[in-house]
Amino acid sequence: MSIALLTLIILGLSALGYLLGRQRALAAVEGDARKLHSLPSYYGASVFLFTALPAFLTLLVWLIAQPLLIERSVAGMITPADIPAGTTLSLVMSDVQRIAVGTEQLVADGMSETELAALQADPAGLRSALGRLGVSVAETTTPNVLEAAKAYRASASLGHFGMIVAALALAVAGLLISAFRVTPELRARNIVESFIRVLLIGASTVAILTTLGIVFSLVFESWHFFQLYPAKDFFFSLTWNPKFGGGSSLGVWPLVWGTLYVSFVALVIAVPLGILSAIYLSEYASPTVRSVAKPLLEILAGIPSIVYGLFALVTVGPLLRDWLAMPLGLGASSSSVATAGLVMGIMLIPYVSSLSDDIINSVPQSLRDGSYAIGATPSETVRQVVLPAALPGIVGAVLLAASRAIGETMIVVMGAGAAAKLSMNPFEAMTTVTVKIVSQLTGDTEFASPETLVAFALGLTLFVFTLGLNILALFIVRKYREQYE
Amino acid sequence: MNLMQTPVSDTTALKPRITASGVQVYYDTNHALKDVSVNILDRTTTAFIGPSGCGKSTFLRCLNRMNDTVASARVEGKILLDGQDIYDKRVDPVQLRARIGMVFQKPNPFPKSIYDNVAYGPRIHGLARNKAELDEIVETSLRRAALWNEVKDRLSAPGTGLSGGQQQRLCIARAVATGPEVLLMDEPCSALDPIATAQVEALIDELREQYSVVIVTHSMQQAARVSQKTAFFHLGNLVEYGDTQQIFTNPQDPRTESYITGRIG
Ligand SMILES: Nc1ncnc2c1ncn2[C@@H]1O[C@H](COP(=O)(O)OP(=O)(O)O)[C@@H](O)[C@H]1O
Ligand SMILES: [Mg+2]
Repeated sequence: MSIALLTLIILGLSALGYLLGRQRALAAVEGDARKLHSLPSYYGASVFLFTALPAFLTLLVWLIAQPLLIERSVAGMITPADIPAGTTLSLVMSDVQRIAVGTEQLVADGMSETELAALQADPAGLRSALGRLGVSVAETTTPNVLEAAKAYRASASLGHFGMIVAALALAVAGLLISAFRVTPELRARNIVESFIRVLLIGASTVAILTTLGIVFSLVFESWHFFQLYPAKDFFFSLTWNPKFGGGSSLGVWPLVWGTLYVSFVALVIAVPLGILSAIYLSEYASPTVRSVAKPLLEILAGIPSIVYGLFALVTVGPLLRDWLAMPLGLGASSSSVATAGLVMGIMLIPYVSSLSDDIINSVPQSLRDGSYAIGATPSETVRQVVLPAALPGIVGAVLLAASRAIGETMIVVMGAGAAAKLSMNPFEAMTTVTVKIVSQLTGDTEFASPETLVAFALGLTLFVFTLGLNILALFIVRKYREQYE
Repeated sequence: MNLMQTPVSDTTALKPRITASGVQVYYDTNHALKDVSVNILDRTTTAFIGPSGCGKSTFLRCLNRMNDTVASARVEGKILLDGQDIYDKRVDPVQLRARIGMVFQKPNPFPKSIYDNVAYGPRIHGLARNKAELDEIVETSLRRAALWNEVKDRLSAPGTGLSGGQQQRLCIARAVATGPEVLLMDEPCSALDPIATAQVEALIDELREQYSVVIVTHSMQQAARVSQKTAFFHLGNLVEYGDTQQIFTNPQDPRTESYITGRIG
C-alpha cells in the first residue's frame, strides 16, 4: 500500500469521524443544538482531529526514523574489504540503498520472489537486470554488499508493513475512543482551540528549528574548513587565489570588499531614488497617477535578477566603459563594480519605494493637517513631520534592500565579473562573496578539500553580515522609538 | 443650562474680521455647505453648533483654505479676511494659514520635542531672528496656552509623551506661536476630561482679548460659556446666527429651538 493511499484512507476515516461526532452530539440532545456545550461542528472536528493527528504524526516519525534505523543495522554487515579505495562507508551504503530500491522495483514490475532469489544468486544477471532499470551497479560491488541490499529490502518492507498497521490502528482507535467520548457536556470547542494552538506553535517551531538547522550546518562545515585551512589566513590574508591542486590562498577580504562596494553603489542609487519616488507617490501624486505609477514601479521588482544581469552585460557595462571608464582612463573592462552596482540599484528601487510608500501612507493624516494648518508647504511637511515619523519603517526598508544587495549573485556574475580584487576603482572588475560560493561549489567535487569547504565559511560570513545589519536596524529603530514614544 | 454664566458683552461695536457670503462647498457631488453667509467679528468668540455632519468643520476649513488639501472638495462664494478675498489667485494659502491658526479635534502634536513643536511655525515662517527670540516666542506661546509651568523643565521631552489635555494645550501653543489673527478650533475639547476642558475654556476667554476665536462644539453649555456669537448649522445650511444669549434664550427659528432643547441632534 502506498503512502498516498494510506493518507487517503486516514483522511476518509477522519471524515467519517467528523460525521459520526457531529451526529452523536446531536443525537445525545435529540437535535436541540442549544443544549450542547459547543456547536455541533466542533464535536465533529474534535473527532476528526483525534482520528487524523495521531495517525499522521506516527506516519511522519516513522518515515523519518525507519531509514535511519535500517541503515544503522545493515551497515554492520559491511566489512572494510567491501569499501573500495577512495570511497567511504557512506558511499557504499548509498549503493546498498539503490540496489535495494532497484530490486523492489523489479518485483513491482512483475518479477516473482522465486525468480528474484535466483537472480540474486547470480551477481552478473542482477547487475544487468538492474542496469535495464537505470540503476547501475559497479563491477567492484562485493557479494557482501548485495547481501546487505537484500537485508535492507527485507527490513524496509517489514517496516513499511508495520507502519501501515500502526497508522491505521491509531486512526481507528482515535476515531472510536473520541466518538465514544462525545457527550453534550464535552468542551469540544476548547479541544479544537487547543489543537489550533498546538498547530500554530508547531508551525513557528518548524520555522525556528529550520533556521537553527541551517546555521548549525553552516557552522559545522565551516568548522570543518578551519580544520583544513588556518583561520588566520582566511580572515587576514588579502589574496583570494584558489587552486584545486592545493596551495590555495583563501583570504576573504577581496570578496567582502567586492560585496560591500557593489552593495554600497547599489544603495547609493536605490535609497535616494526609492525614497524620493515614495514621497512623490504618497504625498504629491494624484490618485490617477498613483494608480498607474505604483504598479509600474512594482513591476521592476518582479523582473528576475538574471534579466537585470543581461541588461548589465550587454547595455550598461559597455556604455559605462565607452563613455566613462575609457575617457577617464580608469580601465577598459565592461564588467565593473559600477555596472553591477548601478543595475542592482535599479533593481532595488521598488523594494525601497514600495515599502517606504506604505510606511509614509501610514503616518496619520492628522499630523499633516497640523503642519499645513500652521502654514507649512508640502515639502516642509514631508521633511519635518512625515519623514521623521516614518523613519523607523524607512530604515527597515533600506536595510531590507541592503540584505538583498549583499545576497545578490546573478547581477554580480554578469555585471562585475569574477576576479577577486581589492581596489578602489569602481570601473574595475571585482567579485563578491556569493559569486565565489557558487564558483567554489560548481564542478564535480566532494566536500573534503578546503577549496570547496571554504564556501561554507563564506556563507557563514555572509550570514554574520546580514545578522549584524538586522541587529543594527533593530537598534536604530528602538533608539528612535524611545525618543518619540 | 445656567445661562447666567453667559458672558454678557456688547458685540455691536466690533468690526467684522471675516466676511463670508454665499459660500457653497461640494465634495464631488455631495453638496455639503449651502449658501452660507456670516460675519466673524474681531475679538469675539464665535461658536458653531449643530448636529454631526451638518457642515461645521467644512465651513471652518474654508476659512483657512484647509479644504485645498482635500482633492474632492470644491468651494464657491466669497470669503474676505480684512476685506481681502482669501480665495483670490494672488493669496498664498500657506501665508494665509499662518494668519489663521487652527486647532483640531484630536490633539496632534508632532513627533518632536515640546520646544520644537511650538517653534515649528516660527521657524518655517522665519519669525525669530535668533535663538533668544525663538526661546521667547516659545515661552510666551506656552504661557498663553497655560502650559508653561507644567513643561518648562522638560522642553526637550517629546510632545507625544504629554497627557491628552496637555497635548491639546501644546497644539494651541503651537497655533498661537505664529501670531495668528484668527484662531479656528474644531471641537477642541471633545477628547479632554472636564478639568482640561475648563483650562482650555479659560484659555479661549483669554485669547479672545486679542484674536477672533471660532469654536466648533457639541456642548451647548460650552457654547454658552465661552462664546458671544453663535451660529447654528443644520443639513449644510446656516439656520441662525446671532448673539449667543439671544440664540439660547430666544431662538428665532424652530429648528434652532428644537436643537438647543435637545429635540433634534
Ligand atoms: N474630506 C471629505 N470628503 C468627502 N466628504 C466629506 C469630507 N469631509 C466632510 N464631508 C462631508 O461633508 C458633510 C459635512 O461634514 P462636516 O463638515 O465634517 O460636518 P460636521 O463637522 O458638522 O460634523 C458630511 O456629509 C460629510 O460626509
Ligand atoms: Mg466636525
